[in-house]
Amino acid sequence: MSTAMNFSAKSFKPRPPDKGSFPLDHFGECGAFKERFMQCLRDSGFESGACRERAMAYLQCRMDRQLMANEPLEKLGFKDLVNEASEAKPGKL
Amino acid sequence: VVPGETALAFYKAKNPTDKPIIGISTYNVVPFEAGQYFNKIQCFCFEEQRLNPHEEVDMPVFFYIDPEFAEDPRMAKVDLITLSYTFFEAKEGQHLPLPGYQ
Repeated sequence: MSTAMNFSAKSFKPRPPDKGSFPLDHFGECGAFKERFMQCLRDSGFESGACRERAMAYLQCRMDRQLMANEPLEKLGFKDLVNEASEAKPGKL
Repeated sequence: VVPGETALAFYKAKNPTDKPIIGISTYNVVPFEAGQYFNKIQCFCFEEQRLNPHEEVDMPVFFYIDPEFAEDPRMAKVDLITLSYTFFEAKEGQHLPLPGYQ
């Protein structure tokens, strides 16, 4: 049985994630946010772009509960959504 | 998913045993050539994660496809990229297999 490692020039090289690892949400604290996001995906036919607001809410939930390093949402690709939200209410730093 | 736009995906892991398991995962992308365009911002991989007996957890991956993907003629026919994870049970002192590791 061949080994999982392929030594040829074309072997796949996994790269670590840019911002590291998510701690596990052992208590399901953000489970509700995840469910809302998944529901949106199902409703939209799995169109990721249609559910970015809920994805943003999920990540915000993680940050609020120390399950993710705090990072401005604009830096996570949500700049346009953040600008919309801050137009509706006073900006929050 | 649109290249350049950040996206969120979820996997689920369950420990069906009566003992806690410490696992570590690595990933794979097919087609192989698309892997270079796959950028993970944050995920659950590469670090040990502990699953308690019978615990089930959601494992998120936050990523984006490099916009250069859309410019690469080799990717013109690629409309499906599959990301998969393999969970290994971490043993004390053991690291993910590297070339030459016995």
